[in-house]
Amino acid sequence: MNPHISEQYDAELDETRNLLMEMGGQVEKLLRDAIDALVTQDSALAEEVRRGDKKVNRLEVEIDEHCVNIIARRQPAASDLRTLISVMKASTDLERIGDEAGRIAKMAKVLADMEYPSDQYNDFRTLANMTHDLLTRSLDAFARLDADGALAVIAADETIDDTYDQILRNRSSAMRQDPGTVERAMSVIWAARSLERIGDHAKNLGEHVVYLVRGQDVRHSPKQSSVS
Amino acid sequence: MLKEDRFKLRVWFASGEPWVWLNAGAVGISITAVVGLLLLIAVRGFGHFWPASVALIGYTDRSGVEQVVLGEVTDSEILAASQYLEATGQSADALPAGQIEVERWQIKTGNRRVAPPDFRWIPTHYIDSVRYPEDAVVLERMEWGNAYGFLTATYEGDVLSSDGPAAWDDFLSRLQRAVLLREQIKALENDKLNHINYALEQLRLDRKGLHRRESLDPVARNARMAEIDTSEQALQAEFQAGEQELRALQGALHRDSIRLRTASGMELTVNVGDVVRAWRPNAMPVLQKIGHYLHSVGLFLTDTPREANTEGGIYPAIFGTIMMVLLMSILVTPFGVIAALYLREYAKQGPFVRLIRIAVNNLAGVPSIVYGVFGLGFFVYFLGGNLDALFFPDALPAPTFGTPGLLWASLTLALLTVPVVVVSTEEGLTRIPRAIREGSLALGATKAETLFKVVIPMASPAILTGVILAVARAAGEVAPLMLVGVVKLAPSLPLDGNFPFVHLERKFMHLGFHIYDVGFQSPNVDAARPLVYATALLLVLLIVALNLTAIMLRNRLERRYRGVE
Amino acid sequence: MTSDTIADRPNAQPLKPDATQEQPVSLPDSLLVDGWSLYYGEQQALNSISLAIPQKQATAFIGPSGCGKSTLLRCFNRMNDLIDNVSVSGRITLEGQDIYAKDVDVAQLRRRVGMVFQRPNPFPKTIYENVAYGLRLAGRIPKTELDDRVEWALKSAALWEEVRDRLKESALGLSGGQQQRLVIARAVAVQPAVLLLDEPASALDPISTLKIEELIHQLKSEYTIVIVTHNMQQAARVSDYTAFLYLGELVEFDRTDDVFTNPKKPQTEDYITGRYG
Repeated sequence: MNPHISEQYDAELDETRNLLMEMGGQVEKLLRDAIDALVTQDSALAEEVRRGDKKVNRLEVEIDEHCVNIIARRQPAASDLRTLISVMKASTDLERIGDEAGRIAKMAKVLADMEYPSDQYNDFRTLANMTHDLLTRSLDAFARLDADGALAVIAADETIDDTYDQILRNRSSAMRQDPGTVERAMSVIWAARSLERIGDHAKNLGEHVVYLVRGQDVRHSPKQSSVS
Repeated sequence: MLKEDRFKLRVWFASGEPWVWLNAGAVGISITAVVGLLLLIAVRGFGHFWPASVALIGYTDRSGVEQVVLGEVTDSEILAASQYLEATGQSADALPAGQIEVERWQIKTGNRRVAPPDFRWIPTHYIDSVRYPEDAVVLERMEWGNAYGFLTATYEGDVLSSDGPAAWDDFLSRLQRAVLLREQIKALENDKLNHINYALEQLRLDRKGLHRRESLDPVARNARMAEIDTSEQALQAEFQAGEQELRALQGALHRDSIRLRTASGMELTVNVGDVVRAWRPNAMPVLQKIGHYLHSVGLFLTDTPREANTEGGIYPAIFGTIMMVLLMSILVTPFGVIAALYLREYAKQGPFVRLIRIAVNNLAGVPSIVYGVFGLGFFVYFLGGNLDALFFPDALPAPTFGTPGLLWASLTLALLTVPVVVVSTEEGLTRIPRAIREGSLALGATKAETLFKVVIPMASPAILTGVILAVARAAGEVAPLMLVGVVKLAPSLPLDGNFPFVHLERKFMHLGFHIYDVGFQSPNVDAARPLVYATALLLVLLIVALNLTAIMLRNRLERRYRGVE
Repeated sequence: MTSDTIADRPNAQPLKPDATQEQPVSLPDSLLVDGWSLYYGEQQALNSISLAIPQKQATAFIGPSGCGKSTLLRCFNRMNDLIDNVSVSGRITLEGQDIYAKDVDVAQLRRRVGMVFQRPNPFPKTIYENVAYGLRLAGRIPKTELDDRVEWALKSAALWEEVRDRLKESALGLSGGQQQRLVIARAVAVQPAVLLLDEPASALDPISTLKIEELIHQLKSEYTIVIVTHNMQQAARVSDYTAFLYLGELVEFDRTDDVFTNPKKPQTEDYITGRYG
């Protein structure tokens, strides 16, 4: 895309996008750490994740301020307008992801006091990897303005939901067979639920990318992939 | 030190101050020149009407004879001795040794008929005595200029009415009677006799026309002829009665006379009917002198000229000038405006229009006498001659329009000034913003509607500016007028009570030509000179007045359209 | 004036507002431009433009200087006739009537297609006379009716309250914004079908600009409005449809909402976001 006649305007838009990418990086790291804290039962790492969430919140406020200022001063139109709207919405989603990472860290602390399980959190690991991968891909799509990648992310969210359901079913039956595992299983289910929500937010990010790039609103449409 | 000074000079030049001084100097010189000119004209022109004191001067002339003159000191000058000797043709011993300058006075002694010349120069070293006698009388006469002397007696017919000191008051009352009689005569001549003459002339033309029309039925012709005869007889009778009345009045006017003793002791008889005014300046208090002065100015403005224009007033010239300028404005304005409208609004702009525009601009530079020749050839002889053949055949061979006259003079000047109006109007038209025209057109107005409802009203200040310039130029123009209508003395005004009231074919008088005529064609230069100044002043005032009127009108229009451009 | 047939040209279908499938345009067209080209001498200023301007809607023409948007606007009331050396081809119809047909009375056409210019251009006459000008051109009108029409026009232009006591005063005493509304009243007084606005607020201060924009909002319920503007935000605020012209070509014509959030053509995008094009 051609540069703006006003270089300052370009710089401001770039700054906003960079802030979002920085925030994305932070959130991605938080999620990684939260997952690690849980599966390695590292209570100190979990505590670090709780603190990292604060920084993400600050970044969200900063991004909002940037966007509001640009809208007020530049009256952006077309792709610029869509960029700002997408960035604002994406920052909200990222902040929620940060919150969910915090919840996982909280569960990690609870689990850290327990004995290390024999299944080594296999089911959780699978879901966590899928979710983390989805978040990474959605952030990549944002950075590269890749609408097709974003559409793939949106489609992939269904797999996460399926996997989450799987975990829920397996853990429920396990709890019924061995009531002694209820406490652990509940914590894992809570953490998995957070992962599932993170997947939803990653899907939202993908939708924002599609809106940004193509100007199409793909939310709540029955068959997203058909719209291109 | 020197370097610093040069630096200072450069700064001074760079500051632009020298230019300001230069410009201010140029403006100052121009203003001084204009104001000086106006002051000179004003002082000389206005001064002429002041009732100057009359001096009784005794001197010994160069042949040793004692002389006495009575008159006004009108001028004085100082000559170098050699110049004086050369001018008077005398040898060096005529002057006392060592005298290098000679002062001499110009005395207006009047009495042109009995003791010419009426102006004479007297070197001051000849003069023995100067007195201002209270009883010195100045008479302004219908003929022969002023008379100066001492009143000795007043006669009614041949009978002595009074003499000695009582004679003055007696004379004044008789003069008053004469003035009244003169007015009656003038009224009789102007109104009644003039009318009858005009009607007789018409009848004569009718009869001539009747002879010319051969197709007419002889019975009708004879009937008409008889009609003309009867009215002619009636008019003739009326005219004779009027003439009789006139003769009676003239007899009454010339009943009285006075005796005047001149400075040299000669007895002079002056008929009271020939006296315009009489005054004793040396006995007049200042207030009375002012009254006399204003009366003189009034007479100058309202009276007709006498004595080859060197005496009397210039009313016909003022009237003729104004009439001609007005007529010229009426002719030139529509003509110039229409031409400019075509050039600017309708003609396709291109090399041809540019050529025409250049030609129009150059017309303004053609010497005015060329216009005069053209006017005479084209307007007077060609147009006028054809007009006469078509509409006034009865008067031929005497021309009606085929001779110089007011209409042709106005037309010639209109032609002379039309470039000014064209250029100024065009400028005004170009200054009107396109947006205004488009606004009108966008409302569904045609081009002509736009021009007449919006463009021309807005250009009217510029058009008026053009007319102002045209008037200024036309009022001061003399040369072409001499060829196409102006005369030294017009027998009647171009506007009078005889139908059709405005007589465009008549010749007329003009202030500019009057100045030329009085100043350079007059038999008596000394007597005429003050009149030249007075007339010039009046001409300037007239042009200023015409211009001010137009400028005021333009400013009012400009106020109305201010803020558009 | 030459007019070739539609079949001779590519791109012969007039471009209708592209409102995708969801909202088909059912509004009747006021002005229909079909394969319209205009030349100044040898130089082409408009190149085969086709578009349909819907009735009683505000349509904005945007584009960089020299793109031909004012030229196109001036074709609608044949103001270009005033310029020497202009030749045109194609067809423009107003409510079905070819406005460049030989038998068209241009003065009559201009009464149906009013125009307001960039700078307020009231005549140096009274306020009343300015509004009455167009009415008087149409023929003699009784005084009472004229009064009514002038009052109505001034009310339509939201100016009546401000000038009702000074109708006999010079229009030049009004402020710039008031003058522009007076000029609009003058155009409205003859009850045209279409009102052309050529950058009507570009010489005005922001408050006066907003008043004019508000007025356009009110007027479009009665008149088809076509507005040319440099100010994209203004186009976005006042218009229902926006046409983007570039180098004498119609690049994009669509609903304003779409043009300003999601333009179809990269040139439009570059122009409205302020990029090098």
